[in-house]
Amino acid sequence: MEAQKSATMTPRTNVASGRRSLGFEKTNLRYTPGQLTALRIPTSRRKPNTRNDIDPEQLAYIANIEWKLSYVTPLYKFRHTQLVLYSKQLSAFIVAEKQKGIAVEVGPEMGFKVVFSVVLGMTETDEDAETVFIKICSKPAFAVEGSAVKVVWSGWFTCVNGNLDYMRSLPSDFVSLPLFCTNGPESITALVKSWFTRMFDCYFGPLSLNSSILQWLGALWTECHPASNIRYLKLAWNLPTLPPLDISYTVHPQDAWNLWSSIRQNDSMEDGISIEEVRRFMKGLESHFFRHFRMHLSAGMLTRICTSLGSAHCDGTIKITGTQYITPVLMLLTECAQLKMPI
Amino acid sequence: MASKSDPSRLELSCSSENDTTGCSRSLRSSRVAEEQKKRGEAGESFQSALSYFSRVKAGTPWRSNDVLERHLAAVERVALSQGLPPEAVSILLEFSLSLRMGYVISTRVLKFLVPASTVPQEAVLRGISWLCVDKMPMSMQVLFIRWVITMFDLIDSKDKLRAVYGFIFSFVTQETMCPYICHLLYLLTRKENVRLHRVRKLLELQGKMGRQPFLLHLLSLYKIFCPDLVIVSMPARMKSGFRNHNSTWKSALAAVQRSSRSKLWSDLQLSTGVHQRPAARKRKLNGCISIPPVSSTLHSSSRPPSSRVFPLEQLRTFPQLLENLHQIELPAQMGSMLGSSLALHFLDCMRDSCAFLRLNYWLGSTLHEEFLFHKDTVAQDAPEVIQFLDTLISVQHFLQEGFTATELFLYKFLRVWDGSLLRPQVLGLLSDIPVVPCSRIKPCLFEPLMQLFFTSSLFFKCSVVECLNSMLQKWLTWHSVYAFEDELDISVTSQTPLNMTLSGLMDSVMALVQFVGRISTIGLQLEQYHPLLLNFTLDFYETVSDMFLKYGMPLVVLPPAGVFYPALHATEPVSVDKLCHIMYRYRTNLISAKSQEQDEKKPIEISRKTYCQFNHYVVSMVSCLWNSRAFQAGTGLEVGADVLSRSRVPEHWARFSLIHHPAFLAYAIDFHQNCWPEKMTMDLGSIKGKYWDWFVEFLFCQDFHGLKEFVQSSMNRRTSAQGSKQNSNRSQEDAVAS
Repeated sequence: MEAQKSATMTPRTNVASGRRSLGFEKTNLRYTPGQLTALRIPTSRRKPNTRNDIDPEQLAYIANIEWKLSYVTPLYKFRHTQLVLYSKQLSAFIVAEKQKGIAVEVGPEMGFKVVFSVVLGMTETDEDAETVFIKICSKPAFAVEGSAVKVVWSGWFTCVNGNLDYMRSLPSDFVSLPLFCTNGPESITALVKSWFTRMFDCYFGPLSLNSSILQWLGALWTECHPASNIRYLKLAWNLPTLPPLDISYTVHPQDAWNLWSSIRQNDSMEDGISIEEVRRFMKGLESHFFRHFRMHLSAGMLTRICTSLGSAHCDGTIKITGTQYITPVLMLLTECAQLKMPI
Repeated sequence: MASKSDPSRLELSCSSENDTTGCSRSLRSSRVAEEQKKRGEAGESFQSALSYFSRVKAGTPWRSNDVLERHLAAVERVALSQGLPPEAVSILLEFSLSLRMGYVISTRVLKFLVPASTVPQEAVLRGISWLCVDKMPMSMQVLFIRWVITMFDLIDSKDKLRAVYGFIFSFVTQETMCPYICHLLYLLTRKENVRLHRVRKLLELQGKMGRQPFLLHLLSLYKIFCPDLVIVSMPARMKSGFRNHNSTWKSALAAVQRSSRSKLWSDLQLSTGVHQRPAARKRKLNGCISIPPVSSTLHSSSRPPSSRVFPLEQLRTFPQLLENLHQIELPAQMGSMLGSSLALHFLDCMRDSCAFLRLNYWLGSTLHEEFLFHKDTVAQDAPEVIQFLDTLISVQHFLQEGFTATELFLYKFLRVWDGSLLRPQVLGLLSDIPVVPCSRIKPCLFEPLMQLFFTSSLFFKCSVVECLNSMLQKWLTWHSVYAFEDELDISVTSQTPLNMTLSGLMDSVMALVQFVGRISTIGLQLEQYHPLLLNFTLDFYETVSDMFLKYGMPLVVLPPAGVFYPALHATEPVSVDKLCHIMYRYRTNLISAKSQEQDEKKPIEISRKTYCQFNHYVVSMVSCLWNSRAFQAGTGLEVGADVLSRSRVPEHWARFSLIHHPAFLAYAIDFHQNCWPEKMTMDLGSIKGKYWDWFVEFLFCQDFHGLKEFVQSSMNRRTSAQGSKQNSNRSQEDAVAS
């Protein structure tokens, strides 16, 4: 104990005399700006509000499609101004990769057209990078004039209301678009990811949605019920019995809303929803189920949540139908993706 | 090209050389020699098989032909393990298609015809001519064409094949062959091959056979080349391409190429240090834990055209690195640098924080995905995982510090680690982490480690103490290296946690030493003072005792009583000897600190209490080992008289003197027997006076250097003349004045 005191009381004469204590130059560089930012799941969120400033045509690409979610580390030297170039490079890359190897399948349908575009306005703060949408169409050799091109794959990178501290700590060469959603064959997804990995030195990983995120989504969508009818609230659980038991639980929208508003009334937070309320909401639903079937749903895992505004599955797929409420959902998913960042 | 990509031939020449010179080298182990002999034999049998197949006469019976069987087996083995060299492909293809030994054997040969590198065009051409002879049964013809299609990319040139385009085209009329011939034509067709009569023929076939996809594909290709010749409309959407590849050949080919590539890479690795291996494709899709290959960046447009750059992937030798040090372009993926030792040299002198951030992102994500997020943990201790972590450890050792990503990963991983998975690797990485600020050291490091420590086996405890010892050594080394560099700018480091003052560093070191003191005290108790654990603990204190002199760290921390006394009373001489050595080092450090303080008037605040504690320990050691006054008042370790009397040990005060100490008892007996060989009764008490001195000398000769150092430094022995009593041998405990 005594020695400890002596250590802390050591005068800083050594440092003053020009001796560096330990801030080695090299180690400094191996330290990274983002590393001390403690990312935490927030305990409260804003109430969802409708948005109208996103181009509906571009939103239509995103709505009503089941997206597979991934997280991606910040993209190095990604430029929103070079999308045309990226389009060309990626399509060339895909064709080249498809023909790599020995005895590859040949045929006329080898052409791909890749289009990168920016979805303007899908941001919350000025720090958020604009969403980038990628569409890959097959290019048949003998396309009839005017026939619709077939989109074989689409995907988009987004960041809505990303953690400010985190993004400000990044050097300017990095663009943080942590959420990557894809729809299409796995083989093309793998090719696109590998192109991005090599081009922007980033890392992709799967993004699964845990129970807490699904609960948040359920609460957010229920909150929207008075403004736009959610029609139903469907939940699915998986209970770890032998054999495993899948339980599907559909709640009448009005009942769900009544439960939710009764919880909301007790709370004083006007424009925010707290995690406590969400928990109580789920607890209410679960205890209702228990009263009828004598089964504790909380012992299982929430696997799916579904309303007419959208659906989400725990393995990392999401479908957004009510595009007017897209922002709060994406905020939630951006948070999830940012929590996966290694540093 | 041909000679290089022909492993079997290379190997043959190699092994024959070795065989001639091998016998002269007696040093070579018999196993290697045997292996090479075997390989040489295999090569011989392969060559003789080839000559057999090139010379065998037509009509030779194949049933119960043992010679044929043996040669077939030899060729097949080579073909499926390393592929066939080009001339072997020619010989075997000729043998097979000429049907010299009948259809069955021919088919069998064709089925294992896997080339190692290329297929000579001439061989294929001869095959086509055999096809035109029209002797082969249909199934054989189809098999051959499929073989050509599958191996098409390996045919060394295609000009002569294109020259016989017309001959090949003539086979489309045969209905069974048609799909395969169309495929082959699709691969061969150039603009000049598209002729009106061929288009007509195809259209005629289409009329006969219906709109078959293979005909459509070929026609569409014709239409692309000459839209004016093919006026029929094509469907906008066609079913996917030809599916005529033989998967058995394809997979055999892939296996052969994989093995030859890895051989190639291992050669490269020897010469340049490029460390790569072809990753299994399937694992790669699942986010495999592997280091990506070095490849240059794709941002070619962002580079100013005038600047000369040297892509890292072209780097082969160290002089090249030195010449181009300022032009080296970073690779597309920073992670790839970990796989190349030359790149590591470059990494070591790099000053680009973005580059390190990229590296850390990649490394952190890879580690997180593999160990923390990965749900279905099938094989986390798979060889590639071990190899990855070993590479990471060696990289960190090379750079002499750990990466941030590794550190942050370890903090999370320690909480879920079971203490056995990949233990050497995890502890190896852990020992590399940079100095942890005192405020974070407890939750990040100590708490999870303590839980694991107290719930795991003896060996785990030992390895944890060893790991912490190595961690401490690295921290101290960093301090000793960087503390004296005056010119470095402190402000550069203002954002990093490592921008800690000397006192901050000392707090961390202090915390680490105290932590080890705590866990080893309890750990020793739990493990009944196991010699192994005691030894590792003493190793740790060996580092601690020398902190001031060896590393310039103004800090002296003594071991806790829970480590000191068990070591002093240990039953194995190694521990006691090591303790003596440690106490000697403490003494040297303390004295030097004291003198430095007096000389330079530079306050090095080593507390009085440390001196007192040290003196206390020395008194206790001396009275125990030397003065036979153990357990008595004023000797450090006091035990109540009633307890001692209850133990019923006679002369308990002398039980731990040098002659009676359990660690040295065997030596004392040995010494006694040497001194008085005629004495029948053993009386160790007779070792006194000059015999005591002799005994001590005797111990010194048994390589107890620690004991020697301790005795010579801490005991002020009055060099007693003859016959003086043991008491006069009074030693004075060390006088490191407080």
